[in-house]
Amino acid sequence: MDQPKVIMSLMFFTMSLAFYFLATAFYIGYWLTRKDWMGQAGTSLTYVAGFSMTMILIFRAVESGHAPFSNLYESMVLFIWAVTIGYLWMERKYKFKVLGAFVMTVASLAMVSAWLLPFRFKNIEPLNPALQSKWNFLVKILEPLGLEKYAIGWLDFHVFATFIGYAAFAISFAVAIMYIIKIRYEARSKKSFLFDSFPPSKVLDELSYITIAWGFPFLTVGIVTGAIWANYAWGTYWSWDPKETWSLITWLVYAAYLHARVTRGWRGKKAAYISIAGFLAVIFLYWGVSFILPGLHAYA
Amino acid sequence: MSSLWKLLYSLKFTIFVIMTIALVSIIGTVVEQGRDAAWYAMEYSDRWVDIILKLKLDDMYHSPWFTGLLILLVVNIIACTIERFPPKWRVLLRKVDKVDTGIIDKLSHRDTFNLNKNTSEFKSTLIALFTKRGYKVKADDVSGGGIALYAWRGIIGRFGSDVTHVSLLLILLGAIIGSFAGYKDFKAVYVDTSFSVPDSDFEIRLDKFWIEYYDTGQIRQYNSNLTVIEDGKDLFTKHIWVNEPLFYKGIRFYQSSYGKAWDRVAEAELTLASKGVTKKIYEPIVIKWDELTSIPGSPYSVRMIGYLADFAYDYQNENFYTKSGDPNNPAANIVVYDSSGEQIATTWLLLNHPDLLGPIPGTTDHLYLTGYRPTHYSGLSINKDPGTNIVWLGSTIMGIGFIFAFFIYHKRIWLSVEVQEDGINTVKVGGIINKNQLSFDKEFDGLVAQLKLEAGVAETLQDNEED
Ligand code: HEM
Repeated sequence: MDQPKVIMSLMFFTMSLAFYFLATAFYIGYWLTRKDWMGQAGTSLTYVAGFSMTMILIFRAVESGHAPFSNLYESMVLFIWAVTIGYLWMERKYKFKVLGAFVMTVASLAMVSAWLLPFRFKNIEPLNPALQSKWNFLVKILEPLGLEKYAIGWLDFHVFATFIGYAAFAISFAVAIMYIIKIRYEARSKKSFLFDSFPPSKVLDELSYITIAWGFPFLTVGIVTGAIWANYAWGTYWSWDPKETWSLITWLVYAAYLHARVTRGWRGKKAAYISIAGFLAVIFLYWGVSFILPGLHAYA
Repeated sequence: MSSLWKLLYSLKFTIFVIMTIALVSIIGTVVEQGRDAAWYAMEYSDRWVDIILKLKLDDMYHSPWFTGLLILLVVNIIACTIERFPPKWRVLLRKVDKVDTGIIDKLSHRDTFNLNKNTSEFKSTLIALFTKRGYKVKADDVSGGGIALYAWRGIIGRFGSDVTHVSLLLILLGAIIGSFAGYKDFKAVYVDTSFSVPDSDFEIRLDKFWIEYYDTGQIRQYNSNLTVIEDGKDLFTKHIWVNEPLFYKGIRFYQSSYGKAWDRVAEAELTLASKGVTKKIYEPIVIKWDELTSIPGSPYSVRMIGYLADFAYDYQNENFYTKSGDPNNPAANIVVYDSSGEQIATTWLLLNHPDLLGPIPGTTDHLYLTGYRPTHYSGLSINKDPGTNIVWLGSTIMGIGFIFAFFIYHKRIWLSVEVQEDGINTVKVGGIINKNQLSFDKEFDGLVAQLKLEAGVAETLQDNEED
């Protein structure tokens, strides 16, 4: 069997890795020194990194001949791509560049973990039978064009929605950490060069909510489309396999967060801790379940 | 009683219940589910086995205590819906009879400026302005020449949480219906055999089963052709594969697995060898299951009537059996006939031990099993779940609830124009949003800037500062 051609996507991955490190370094530099040009550099590099990640996804699709989210490595790329796009959109809208120091650190760590994956995770494997679900109507539309292999199905939709959700939670996690730092300094009303440049805690709390308000519906769509797919592939929409159960656990933690925010005595700090717990659950759901717990899910 | 009720609709209790369900759910992902007692006895120490079996951790998501937690959540949601939502609805849906602008002083988003315009002209400008921004408007004239205005939009966003909660109840209802009125079953089916479907009035026959491979030898897909038989007649045939089930009369048939049969083969290859005075090895012949076949050039005909994948002899019961489903010791049961059609022997031929049983009785001719082609069965999951559609309905409604709750904000603006003693009119405007203050800051500033322009106190629409 000849080696699948993953050269282009691997090349873009290596470049992206550098862009993420640089962008993170400049954002942290901006936070520590408050020099505007550093913030500008951070933003520009993040745009470049986002573009480079988009190229990885496109090349993976071309190289593998299916939607580029079928293994751990590809899904990491999708996840980091979504964090980047989500962050850039937030920066445009709310203009808080210090957030970049934290969000891009999370993104860079994710890049490193994807980079450290053994090569067999990065290579292209043929899809096993259960992963081949395509919407018949799309296949029919694409067939005359010879593009039917790019038809997508519930599974692609499921992975895509889930990872948009994870990405939103990752951003919320970074913001929640900033919130907890910030509120300690506000409580002591002490000057602090490092943390005065954070947005006020009230704003951080809002931002954390807004990102979860995006992530929660997406995670829900991910779970429901996963259930629809399972109903086709395994015959039941819910079988309590560890991956499913962990996604339900994560979903419940964020449901608790939403209610904490409307409960006296729970908004603010406790809500922020729930958001952090939620993201830890996401990490376990994403990496822990795949490597530690037995189950039907391969990776996503 | 009333304090119990209070607990049931308190949000703190909700957080507690949700977090408890989340935490205990972890147990079932660590302890493998659905194994038998012997398996747990092997994996865990006695103390743990005791705990696992007593607390039903081997099937915890269906255990009474876990079901109890779910019921608690349902009661919690119902209590909450009864207690909190009617008052909220009453407030939200009340018709505004008279606009009360006294509230403006209490709002955190507010502004005051002068009006350099005629009030009645300003009033129609305001109505147009708010309507254009998607608000509903109620504007009253106040005695003395002033204006009291109330504008609002996105009220439906406030119902998002209620819609979500109802949808959750629907999903749980669908799950309950499924667990009581549905069933799951599995059948290993051979080609050209049929079975009657439980809890229904039709049969399914497997016409064909085949596997497709990638060039690399990995499995691409497995497929079955299933025919539905009703009242003895073939109704229709459907090609199913993984992810493409057959659905008929509320029952789904899924391609879920396949395997090699342990008690039959499609074909066997036999070789006859004469070890008498004249030694001769005949051309091998291929025989089909239960089909009389003559061996060319010899007086014999053979028929295969049995097969065992892992052949063994049970001395206690004096019969043959298979030790496992794996072809560790394949053996074919063959009946041998002579040229006149007389049955002369029934024998087991072992692939791995060719000379175990000696020659055909009364001759020097040996028969060997030299190969075989296995028969596959198609593993079909059969599933009836009349609750599924309710679950999908609930999920769709949940989606609608989320759109309302997370993407439509309830915004309210009050505005008053007061005529002062000195003839200068002042405009007071205040606004509130139910969530997402950040986006409202900007929007409110923009609104005030536009109002100032209309009021004639600003020359141009300034870009509002963004910090
Ligand atoms: C797993 C179960 C539950 C889920 C998934 C859920 C979901 C939601 C969602 C998505 C919202 C909207 C949040 C927002 O707009 O930020 C919400 C709000 C709310 N939920 Fe729940 N909920 C659940 C259980 C409960 C229970 C048991 C109660 C009863 C005490 C409850 C009471 C409320 C209240 C009072 C609100 C705020 C309503 C409003 O401001 O209009 N929830 N819920």
